[in-house]
Amino acid sequence: MGNAIRYIALDKLTRVLGRLSEILDVWVPTASEEKKRLVRFMPYQAGMIPELVEQSTLGPKGALLPQVESLFRFIYEKDPDDASHKRVELEDPVAPKPTLIFGVRPCDARGFLLFDRVFSAGPHIDGLYGARRDLTLLATLVCLEEDAACFCSSVGGGPADRQGSDLWITPIGDGYVVEALNDRALHVMDLLEEPANELQTAAATKVQQEAAERRVGNLICDQSRSNFLQRFDDLNYWQQMAGQCLSCGICTFVCPTCYCFSITDELKGMRGERIRSWDSCMFYTYTLEASGHNPRPTRLERYRNRIGHKFSYIPEKYEGIIGCCGCGRCIRSCPVSIDIRKVVENLEEKAHACA
Amino acid sequence: MIGWETGYDTLHTTPVFIKDSSEIQRLVWNPFCAQNLAGYLVKSPIVPRGEGSKKIGICVKGCDSRSVVALIQEKLVARDMLFIFGIPCRGVIDLRKLIPNQTGAKILSVRLTDDQVEVEHSKGLQHLAFADVLMRKCKRCRYPDPVIHDVLLGESVLPRIESHELYQDVAAIERLSLQERLAFWQTELDRCLRCYACRNACPLCVCQDRCIAETRDPKWLTQYMNLPEKFMFHFIHALHLAGRCTECGECERVCPMEIPVSLIKEELNKITKELLDFEAGLDLEGVPPLLTFSPAETGI
Repeated sequence: MGNAIRYIALDKLTRVLGRLSEILDVWVPTASEEKKRLVRFMPYQAGMIPELVEQSTLGPKGALLPQVESLFRFIYEKDPDDASHKRVELEDPVAPKPTLIFGVRPCDARGFLLFDRVFSAGPHIDGLYGARRDLTLLATLVCLEEDAACFCSSVGGGPADRQGSDLWITPIGDGYVVEALNDRALHVMDLLEEPANELQTAAATKVQQEAAERRVGNLICDQSRSNFLQRFDDLNYWQQMAGQCLSCGICTFVCPTCYCFSITDELKGMRGERIRSWDSCMFYTYTLEASGHNPRPTRLERYRNRIGHKFSYIPEKYEGIIGCCGCGRCIRSCPVSIDIRKVVENLEEKAHACA
Repeated sequence: MIGWETGYDTLHTTPVFIKDSSEIQRLVWNPFCAQNLAGYLVKSPIVPRGEGSKKIGICVKGCDSRSVVALIQEKLVARDMLFIFGIPCRGVIDLRKLIPNQTGAKILSVRLTDDQVEVEHSKGLQHLAFADVLMRKCKRCRYPDPVIHDVLLGESVLPRIESHELYQDVAAIERLSLQERLAFWQTELDRCLRCYACRNACPLCVCQDRCIAETRDPKWLTQYMNLPEKFMFHFIHALHLAGRCTECGECERVCPMEIPVSLIKEELNKITKELLDFEAGLDLEGVPPLLTFSPAETGI
């Protein structure tokens, strides 16, 4: 991709985003003046100031897996030929539009890689997700500095990990050097006017090299798959690790790799919509069965499932992919500061003690 | 015994459940001990509650102690099951206010001296006044000393405000026009994710697993994430706490979207105080006004 390197000066960024948003739906991370620490991905609008230094509070998954998504609409009508019979008419949802998610981080991109595997690679294909995904480009930032909760390198990623990204954005002081990582990105590159000069390109290379050398997090989880299964029945362990869990849904909602959803029919009179919405394994209702039985009756079983899903069942089912990208959002946002790294790390101890 | 221990860095603590005296040294006390532990008395699967169980030791700040009293008032927990370690509290730090003064800097550690907070971040050192980084609830604290305890650990702390100042924050919203007030809540609640952290963090929301917001039969709320659903959830939640909320502020602290949800309950508490002269969680013999009927009621 050598000849397609562009530069966006800091003071030109909003103009560039404005131009891009005439062609595509552009999502950017943004915060408000009053609540600087609350950074969310929003559809870009004129006047929005992008926040590209701090990590977003919620991951960007809402752009590809909306919190509420229409599967179809339905209208009941009385059959004119038979008054006792109702006909149903179905309406397809609105088609997705070409989209650019600008300012994701490598950890966020890993989340979408997992979604792609789950939703698009079979054996069950999710056409709605696929339709959105095919039209979406990720413009990913090289990550300059981690904080105490980050651990991307421990789970297969890293601050300079390009996997899953389409454009690569390197911050260099007074602007951003942008490169295309594949052909899908070229039409966006054409909309960026200013080419990067030699100095800027060299500065970007240096930043990328420094980022690539950083090892973020020191969790070792290559044996987690089997260690988790050994710990499964040890409720004492889960009490110690997650006894303080409130069983809310924050961790699953902020997580870029969590994708569980609920399907509900929302009916009003004769019209309705079948929607998919974010569910959470932390909710009591997640495994509440129609009989009233709940195989995960307490927060302990539910938290155990969260760890199991991410570090055991997903790797088992999907060729070793870990269902966690090490972004640290669950750790930062958890009301009681549960540290998922600690829970996974300590899975290992018993294995050694037994040997 | 339920207390706090050090979390993943110096800015965070996490609740800890101690069963063996050898683990006592895990306990810490500092202005990052934010969590209200009272909820675990009634909502945790690991806190023993049956006949013949050992007593439960619990560490409480002033605000937390009111929640314990409220739970006892409603007979959700028995007083003689508890051994209460009361800790007079000078205030808890609001992590949202610890913003490094250099763009992009990451906080490495925090040190506290009497009135100063020293923040070491990746681009230098920063000093903040303790009073400037307190949680909103601490700035309006009338009960820094626990109102119930079996042992008091530490020196008494004076209330931060006078009782007539207690509802200044909601009074400011009351002074807005109805249109402005609606716009305020529409903007704030629009960010709500319905993660239910506020509900689950509330020590008095004991029916969280069977919540009206999530029942399917009958279904009161849809899964749509639009304003009417969010308003419904928050106002049902607040109404179910009317006369019961002890203003521990946990709902507001845990909200990942920084919505000041505590204000809704504070408004209801202001009305409860004015009409019925009742403040939740103070008097062990008290009964929340909406849980009782008295023909001699004069306030209404």
